[in-house]
Amino acid sequence: MYGWIWRRLPGNAWIKAMISLVLVLAVVYVLFQYVFPWAEPLLPFNDVTVDNQ
Amino acid sequence: MGVTTDQDEQTDAPSSGPDSPSSPRRRGTGRIAFAVSVFGELLITVGLVLGLFVVYSLWWTNVLADRKADRQGDKVRDHWAAEKDSGPGALDTKDGIGFLHVPAMDNGEVLVEMGTSAKVLNDGVAGYYTDPVKATLPMTGLTGNFALAAHRDGHGAKFHNIDKLRKGDPVVFETKDDWYVYKVFAILPETSKYNVKVLSAVPKQAGVTKPGHYITLTTCTPVFTSEYRYIVWGELERVDKVDSERTPPPELR
Repeated sequence: MYGWIWRRLPGNAWIKAMISLVLVLAVVYVLFQYVFPWAEPLLPFNDVTVDNQ
Repeated sequence: MGVTTDQDEQTDAPSSGPDSPSSPRRRGTGRIAFAVSVFGELLITVGLVLGLFVVYSLWWTNVLADRKADRQGDKVRDHWAAEKDSGPGALDTKDGIGFLHVPAMDNGEVLVEMGTSAKVLNDGVAGYYTDPVKATLPMTGLTGNFALAAHRDGHGAKFHNIDKLRKGDPVVFETKDDWYVYKVFAILPETSKYNVKVLSAVPKQAGVTKPGHYITLTTCTPVFTSEYRYIVWGELERVDKVDSERTPPPELR
């Protein structure tokens, strides 16, 4: 999977590495900005109040 | 960067032996090997994403929440400074009603806002209960229970060190005009999340039977989970007037 992506990136190894880095950062950004904030309330790790529900 | 080195290794391996003579035999096993490697890479990806989620929960949410809480806290202090000349204004509960200082928790001041919804608490503040039991605010002067909640981990983790509190430790609530000095008198290290009785005006579980000016801190326990709730009760000891320099009471010096 990652090898497949790597082979489809243009340029030499250095350019490929740079593009990969940018892709990784983009994925991390999307995760932190959109995916994790959405997923967090669905997971039972951070409920601090007492309630009767 | 760890991902890119993985990619290096994978692309190096097949390129070292192109057009190998065993290619007809490799086609059958190659497909299986390919499926296994894709599966392995997916597992690695899932592991990395889960690891990132931990980083997000325990670090990044703190960064965001602290930034937000600082900004809101500054706003409240600005309000207070502006109102000084115009006399006591209406109580503004939207931005926050005051600051909680708990020296034993060693985390500075915690802004207190209305409500205990995730939206409020995720800004790195403590919230006073409006549901299921309405907290009695100390400024009203009425007897009752000033019940608060805040995060144990992530989102500012304002009550992270709640287990450092001992009986007799001071809990100070600062408003525009007063310092409310509470003393911790009872601790419940583990209770059900449905135990709303801890919030009642006279919290019997704390061993009190008469109405008084109580404060209740609630958060989740054990750390990093929400299995149970940790409860700390305090009782109002005295109220100090805020002076012109906002000199903190001796408990905070």
